Amino acid sequence: MQIVIIGNGPAAIAAAETLREQDRSCGIVMLSKESVPFYSPCPLAEYVEGSVPKERLFLRDPDFYARNAIDIRYGRPVTRIDPQARQVWAGGEAVGYDRLLIASGSRAFVPPVPGLAGTRGVFELKTLDDAEGILERLEVARRAVVIGSGFIGLEAVQALVRHGLAVTLLEAQRHVLPAMLDSEMAALVERRLVEHGVQVRTGCGAERILEGEDGVRGVLAGGVEIPCELVICAAGVRADLSILDGSGIAGNRGILVDARMRTSVEGVFAAGDVIERPDAPEKHRVVPNWPNAVSTGRIAAWNMLGIDRRHPGLEAVNVVRVFDLPVASFGVQAGDSCLRWQDGAGALRKVLLKDGRVAGGQLIGEINGTGVLHEMMKKGTAVERFGTHLAHPGFGYIHTLEPLRAVKWA
Amino acid sequence: MSRTIFTVAERCVACKSCEIACAVEHSQSKTLAGAILETPPPQRRISVEGVGAYSYPSRCQHCSDAACMTACPTGAMQRDGGTDKVFSDHDKCIGCWMCVVVCPFGGVTADPAGKKAVKCDGCPERTARGEAPACVAACPTDTLLYLTPEEFAAQRRQATAHAAVCGGESATPNGMDILRSLKRTH
Repeated sequence: MQIVIIGNGPAAIAAAETLREQDRSCGIVMLSKESVPFYSPCPLAEYVEGSVPKERLFLRDPDFYARNAIDIRYGRPVTRIDPQARQVWAGGEAVGYDRLLIASGSRAFVPPVPGLAGTRGVFELKTLDDAEGILERLEVARRAVVIGSGFIGLEAVQALVRHGLAVTLLEAQRHVLPAMLDSEMAALVERRLVEHGVQVRTGCGAERILEGEDGVRGVLAGGVEIPCELVICAAGVRADLSILDGSGIAGNRGILVDARMRTSVEGVFAAGDVIERPDAPEKHRVVPNWPNAVSTGRIAAWNMLGIDRRHPGLEAVNVVRVFDLPVASFGVQAGDSCLRWQDGAGALRKVLLKDGRVAGGQLIGEINGTGVLHEMMKKGTAVERFGTHLAHPGFGYIHTLEPLRAVKWA
Repeated sequence: MSRTIFTVAERCVACKSCEIACAVEHSQSKTLAGAILETPPPQRRISVEGVGAYSYPSRCQHCSDAACMTACPTGAMQRDGGTDKVFSDHDKCIGCWMCVVVCPFGGVTADPAGKKAVKCDGCPERTARGEAPACVAACPTDTLLYLTPEEFAAQRRQATAHAAVCGGESATPNGMDILRSLKRTH
């Protein structure tokens, strides 16, 4: 059986490894847009910062593809998928497949701001090339503007501050981390940023990129000109759906898949950042993060081999550090009621309830035990009996054992 | 089958001996006196959780399909081929805390000083020498046991059989009985 995987990221690699574990004989072809072996995009900001050396980004040894008999083809962006002929077109060459996995990932969303695309000194922070470009530009840059305060934006801010740049953070919405936090929690994060010398401007989108002789020279935002030599655009990521044109594969915000990672077309699967789960609640439809990429990649691989496995659902969880202050968030940002705990030293934990069940949570400063709450949300555990303990850092796995013990000791 | 750690939750009296032994085992000096003086202080990887009168030494379960390994974007979280235990490579860990927010047992904790994820590694140095992990060796109530699954099952079978024959009285005193007996002597 010939299996073609579009992509070379975590979902693609997880799928390839799962395929090889199960089946030594199938042919695996991987088509990569980029021309470097598999690397982790998550520590790219740390790489720019200088705390993670480049070789640490590569999570597999150079021998990985050969050892697993994977035919990796670099620099082959896929232009067209032809499910009738069971072929994909990449770099002017047709590759035939029996099963196809689309794990092409997401790309940075570039808002329609004049000059944002194509000006020298303006970068995204999504690929290794972006990181290398930023590092090069750092040699001439003293001031920087970061557009967007999602977790990539905040990581970029820290990396630049630690390089000694004067950084301005622009967020078009009313507060930072709008997809993760409510305004009260965001205020804590904003304070942390300001303490470290970051100019935070919320409710203020970039209006124009000003270009000089040596690339970008400033950003016009809120009618004010902010001089800078470096701009990082981190306004979120979007699934890259251009390859679906003419293929008949259904997509909305991402490629629509079921619990087995099957797309609307027979023999074509999708995994990773590129997918959308139309049957899931809003918060869990499109969740581009590392754990989801790996788990969906594995599920897709099982099902490509005809082994029935279902994915339990995407995990709407994320965590970011803001100058060493940990910030975790999962599920929704607003519920029927909210339990809170704070220690007066900057830590604040909120657990949101809906119908007596955990619907979400936001934790700053003290994030231990987030996983236990997250698991309760996924399982739909009735949590009324725990009362306000739920938000306390001491709330742990033992609470789920309590009823058994209570009977035993009664 | 190789030996592994079992927890008999009803025997736990929350003395936290396991926590101290764990921190000492994961210190540089591996002695209590030395561990106290170290900076940053060594971190425990086992945590006695309590609710009301009940307690339980919570630690990593070394899941076969470990959420932390799936979630780790740097390859730091991995399974030791020899001991089959999940451990975190501190050199590779960047402290992104993804493992902390996905672990359903709260088995991985964030060490804010070291900026590294901290979790039970099954004491590979001790088990290689044939010794029990530090927490088990330190447990005075036999809450934590280092046995093969067969041995553990046999123990439990025997205890249950004994209890059935002797009219519901368990042969081994449980943690609350030990606590009560301590209170009586004072």
